[in-house]
Amino acid sequence: MKTINLFMKKGVTIPLEFDNVLPELLYDKSKEEIEQTIIYHGNQEEPLNKYFIVEIQGECDKADECTIFIDGDLYRVKYIGNRMSCGTIIANGNVDLHVGSMMSGGHIVVNGDAESYAGREMTGGILEIKGNVKEYCGSSYIGEWRGMSGGKIIVNGDAGKQLADCMMGGEIYIGGNCDILAGIHMVGGFIEINGDVDKWPAAEMKKGTMVINGKVQEMLQSFKLEEKIQNPFIHDKYYFGTYNLYSGDIGSKGKGHVWIKEH
Amino acid sequence: MEYILKRGIVFDPANNIDGEEKDILIKDNKIVEEVSNNAKEIDISGKLVMPGGVDLHSHIAGPKLATGRLYRPEDIRKGIKKASFGGVDGFEAGFSVPTCPATGYRYTRMGYTTVTEAAVPPLEAKDTHEQIKSIPNLDVPTLTLFGNNWFMLKFVKENNSQDLMLFISKWLKLTKGYGIKIVNPCGSEAWGWGKNVKDLDEPEPHWGVTGREVIRELTKVNEKLGLPHSVHVHTNDLGHPGNYETTLETFDCVKDIKKNKNVSRDQILHCTHIQFHAYKGTTWRDVSSGASELIDYINSHNHMTCDIGQLTFDETTTMTADGPMEYDLFKLTGLKWSNKDIEVETSSGLIPSIYSNKSPVSTLQWAVGLEFLLGVNDPWKIVLTTDSPNAAPFIRYPKIISWIMSNEKINDMLDNEVHSWATRRTSIAAYDKEYSWNEIATITRASPAKILGLNDRGHLGVGAKADVSVYDIDVNDFDPTSLQNSSVIEKKLLNTLYTIKDGEILVKEGNIVQLVDSNHIWCNVKGLEEREEDLINRIKPEFNKYYTINYENYGVCNHFIKPDTRIDVEYGD
Repeated sequence: MKTINLFMKKGVTIPLEFDNVLPELLYDKSKEEIEQTIIYHGNQEEPLNKYFIVEIQGECDKADECTIFIDGDLYRVKYIGNRMSCGTIIANGNVDLHVGSMMSGGHIVVNGDAESYAGREMTGGILEIKGNVKEYCGSSYIGEWRGMSGGKIIVNGDAGKQLADCMMGGEIYIGGNCDILAGIHMVGGFIEINGDVDKWPAAEMKKGTMVINGKVQEMLQSFKLEEKIQNPFIHDKYYFGTYNLYSGDIGSKGKGHVWIKEH
Repeated sequence: MEYILKRGIVFDPANNIDGEEKDILIKDNKIVEEVSNNAKEIDISGKLVMPGGVDLHSHIAGPKLATGRLYRPEDIRKGIKKASFGGVDGFEAGFSVPTCPATGYRYTRMGYTTVTEAAVPPLEAKDTHEQIKSIPNLDVPTLTLFGNNWFMLKFVKENNSQDLMLFISKWLKLTKGYGIKIVNPCGSEAWGWGKNVKDLDEPEPHWGVTGREVIRELTKVNEKLGLPHSVHVHTNDLGHPGNYETTLETFDCVKDIKKNKNVSRDQILHCTHIQFHAYKGTTWRDVSSGASELIDYINSHNHMTCDIGQLTFDETTTMTADGPMEYDLFKLTGLKWSNKDIEVETSSGLIPSIYSNKSPVSTLQWAVGLEFLLGVNDPWKIVLTTDSPNAAPFIRYPKIISWIMSNEKINDMLDNEVHSWATRRTSIAAYDKEYSWNEIATITRASPAKILGLNDRGHLGVGAKADVSVYDIDVNDFDPTSLQNSSVIEKKLLNTLYTIKDGEILVKEGNIVQLVDSNHIWCNVKGLEEREEDLINRIKPEFNKYYTINYENYGVCNHFIKPDTRIDVEYGD
């Protein structure tokens, strides 16, 4: 096992971009080489050690065995784990945009909140966010119509607007509440929301499954209530209580399923 | 400035020079026989030399491109390249719909110096010419859309060929257009009523005119005026199984019309992106290639030419004035799309398209395009295009060239890369033709220049425009037919050693070293001015009734087209 510890020297106001700080790129590098890894500060290329103290423990032969700890005031650090394919990244603090975006493997843990586009277009791996996420978690990026297609996102807190926009596959678990239009344009995958949901979940859904254990402020009328089921078995487990099964979005000729718990 | 390009291996099919070691002499902006002692010598010993590339059909400027860029930010994020360090070329973005400067840079690096913008709605001509001003390093003739214009339909319905001729002549002046483009004649107009026409003889719902009448009348007018290029036709039924019959009928419907004796081209009709018009069958389930019948026709007739619209396996953006076809694509794919009505002139649409080598239909389309390239006997009758960006972006030309130069490469793709429909539903596997460098120079330079009627380019004869491309390929030590060299061809043809345009070095050793303003090429018919003004006075009330702008604000002013090349055509009744 190799652990790369990155301690932020001081906070920044202009964002840092961390897409070069990945286990697969750094696992076989020396401390000096890692310190010289180029990151962007705004539009300037800078060495990593300008903003971070680098410490290394242990050695490894494979990127899978490499863990990167990032600690400090990370709220302006973008693209943590962007395009990551293996290994582990643990970020202690609130992180900026695009954490875990387009990741295809590995494990990212954020011990704090994440800004928008967390896990966007991810195809594999696990993204765990212990706090809240903002908008477009697990979604597609602007203009794109292919959102998250694989992997798993676990958010302990709340999620912002348009969770899983254009989601095609994979799983998303939200511990708290969701803002409007969760699962909009969903064409596949599974979403479980344990808190309340604002208006119009699963709007324009084509396929996929959504389970809502809290209350829904307003369901679109283009969903048809199919039946009420006690303790249904959904995805891979039993859900206890009475659930209303909706299908739709009929307006988009969709055949998705939304399960909403009765309260 | 004078240059001597020393000892290159020259391919100049128009002058029957097939791989000869030769010096090219350049003075000012022309190829010359002699230069002074001050001429700068450039040693290009053994390197591949061809005339500057001529793209006969591409979409590089105009509102559809602007819409594409706005509508597909995910495409703009691809192809991002930083400005070169210490160079003159700036930032680039976009893959299928690149930014205007990136369009110029990429064509220049590929050795292309003339690119035809193939579809300009008259109402949007100002925007088009303004965008061309943002594209560096190219000569750009623009083709004006007439195939669904209300005034044209009215004159055709009234059988008023005189006014139709005056209208076309005047509108080319107003739009600073080079030639007549016809897109899905009557079909795009029918789209205003939510309809399409399915063949040449189905009348358009408002005027009751058919596509056959439109193509024939506009061809007659084109020949009567003696325009340098023939009518440029995107036939009805694009992209529909069974459409090869409509395409054959389109070829045949003009064959009795006499070519103007003053023009240098051979054809009276140019059929564009023929790959999209060559399918048999009734649905996408039973579709198959209809290329053989069309190839037989092309091989046995001389009144028409075609360009390919060759597909590569990319995610691209389709954009066309064929609005109903884009709607059909939307119904097929469900992807985001855009549609626009250009007042009384045409429709238009845009939708992303994903061509995959795993998709049966994409593979069939790929093979059909190659069938034309390999099956048409005379390379002067065909032109390599991708209908950029519809079948592929223009930066894929080198890839296509690498395919058609190597039978081994195509067989390898058929065996290992593409869906079995290519072999099961087309005749591609039966062809064993391999293009020579001379034939490549023909279909990318000499033939398109001749078809366009631009006699000053596409060749390296004395007096020709000094547009030259030099590639870092040692012709005599390089085997283009080998499978292994396929990727080398692509790489080398994407970046010239030298691109010279009008005697100025624009690319040196793969780097752009100079940017010049693009040149707007347009056609001016002389001798009809008074009659044109009379026509305008007669139709102005109708114009001002149906258009949202006044006639006075309609035409493209001269400051939009600086610098320009005006090609004067003397009308003789």
